Amino acid sequence: MPLSDILARAAGLASEAGSGALKQLQHVRLPGVGQASATDDPETAARRWRAVTVLTDPEQLQAGTPEPLTRFGDRLEIRVTPAPGERGAELAARFRDRVGEDQLGELRSALREAKQRIETGEVLRNEPQPHGHRAQTPQGKVLDGMDERASKEGVL
Amino acid sequence: MKAATWTGVNEVSVEEVPEPTLLNDHDVILKVAQSVTCGSDLHLLGGYIPFMRAGDVLGHEFIGEIVEAGSAVRHRKVGDRVVGAPFAACGNCWYCKQEEYSLCDNGNANPGITEGLWGQSPGGCLGYSHAMGGYAGSHAEYIRVPYADVGTFVVPEGISDTRALFASDAASTGWMGADLAGTKPGDVVAVWGAGGVGQMAARAAMLLGAEQVFVVDRVPERLQQVREHVGAEAIDYSSTDVLAELRERTGGRGPDVCIEAVGMEAHSSGAAGVYDQVKQQLRLQTDRPTALREAVMACRKGGSIFTLGVFAAMVDKFPLGALMNKGITMRGAQVHAQRYIPELLERMEQGELTTEHLATHVMPLSEAPRGYQMFKDKEDGCVRAVFTPGS
Ligand SMILES: NC(=O)c1ccc[n+]([C@@H]2O[C@H](COP(=O)([O-])OP(=O)(O)OC[C@H]3O[C@@H](n4cnc5c(N)ncnc54)[C@H](O)[C@@H]3O)[C@@H](O)[C@H]2O)c1
Ligand SMILES: [Zn+2]
Ligand SMILES: [Zn+2]
Repeated sequence: MPLSDILARAAGLASEAGSGALKQLQHVRLPGVGQASATDDPETAARRWRAVTVLTDPEQLQAGTPEPLTRFGDRLEIRVTPAPGERGAELAARFRDRVGEDQLGELRSALREAKQRIETGEVLRNEPQPHGHRAQTPQGKVLDGMDERASKEGVL
Repeated sequence: MKAATWTGVNEVSVEEVPEPTLLNDHDVILKVAQSVTCGSDLHLLGGYIPFMRAGDVLGHEFIGEIVEAGSAVRHRKVGDRVVGAPFAACGNCWYCKQEEYSLCDNGNANPGITEGLWGQSPGGCLGYSHAMGGYAGSHAEYIRVPYADVGTFVVPEGISDTRALFASDAASTGWMGADLAGTKPGDVVAVWGAGGVGQMAARAAMLLGAEQVFVVDRVPERLQQVREHVGAEAIDYSSTDVLAELRERTGGRGPDVCIEAVGMEAHSSGAAGVYDQVKQQLRLQTDRPTALREAVMACRKGGSIFTLGVFAAMVDKFPLGALMNKGITMRGAQVHAQRYIPELLERMEQGELTTEHLATHVMPLSEAPRGYQMFKDKEDGCVRAVFTPGS
């Protein structure tokens, strides 16, 4: 999600007028902030390698596709290269075919999971957790939605 | 169980919530003995970090007893009295290996939100909004702590709960500021903000060998604590010109190290104050950087500045020219508590570091709404409100 949208949503929670003013201000784009790519056309953006750096031996990672990336079968191209400065291995993937934002989101989330499994042995969960009574408000719904999508969004 | 939750802007409630369960093999469940308000919570309360959902449990600075441990927990056991780190850090990623625990790659279960805001996602913080991982906090009878071998520390018997409690955040944050700003023997250090964090930063600077330490604030009870419990010099910004005062007292040089422990709701008077308030309220700037601007102007040539105060996004009128031309190094970070807690506990045991005076108001969890009100308004000299869920 572009930074301007995040800030506008945030601002919208507090002031409608403020959010309007902010949107105006934000037409001056901050290149590259808050999104996978700010100026690429959608096709180029979709074709970019999504990558995570994993603190592990590159050779071990090259030996086989890590979980859960296997579930994409041969729809993915996968590339493993040593990371500079003893930072482990760069694990990158992209779809062979043209795909939409939903599938890119699945890929981001899978890359992050693969990294976590290798580094920590499991995938960190944050649900279900104790929380108090929640009224159904429009703002709450926006936030619940952001929460749900949060592992599928970002700059990868 | 009972928990103190965020239920709206400037609204804290105490309500009945489900008990936490082990979600990962590295988790423990802690029975919370004490949990304390932090200046960072005020930014959540005020709605400046708009990623809170009504019903979210607050709190990230805590001490308690382990009552349940996941199958992969190796170095902690049921019955241990432990203090917890605010940030969830895996201990295995590259950042954790550099001891930059609050930057852990695997600590935030919601990385997309902060990547959107900041270009990369730092780690996740307990009880600190959905942007920081969406974890329930410690103002509750029980809390789940992820990566417990890394994020909890057994407290030696000789240290009281109330002293050890602050190793969690206030003391480790203050220590980090003084340490990562590069404080060394002979330095002159100035700290903005005399809350728990600022006071602990000043104390750390002294223990790291600083020759002269100043703390800037305007709240009389806090300035008094600076003199009495920290042993630093207090500067009341409401009655003096801070820049002139610092120049006069440092032979015209300015401090070698400036530590900002105020954050995005800094107070200021006069036209600049009104300007910042209005811009922040219109959401044209998200943060008010008054103290940070002052630090840049005060800092000696070639000096260093550390931002401990929390900022969320954008600031306005930042004196970048002064920073660049004076050759200043500026850094900031969320607390790498895991890096400092062991040393702090040692110093606490030896009596070098005392923190009990910060706990000005101790009360049962059921009084959390009043505690936050007092903390926010600095009523009755409140520096920190400590909740005791067990009592
Ligand atoms: N980096 C971290 O990991 C971390 C950890 C804990 C707290 N924090 C942040 O550190 C800051 C301080 O925390 P705290 O718990 O001590 O908060 P606090 O609210 O108790 O104290 C803040 C102090 O700043 C003073 N102040 C306000 N405007 C000022 C100004 N212009 N000049 C000088 N002083 C001014 C206030 O009077 C108050 O005493 C907050 O922004 C908090 O979010 C950061
Ligand atoms: Zn804190
Ligand atoms: Zn980590």
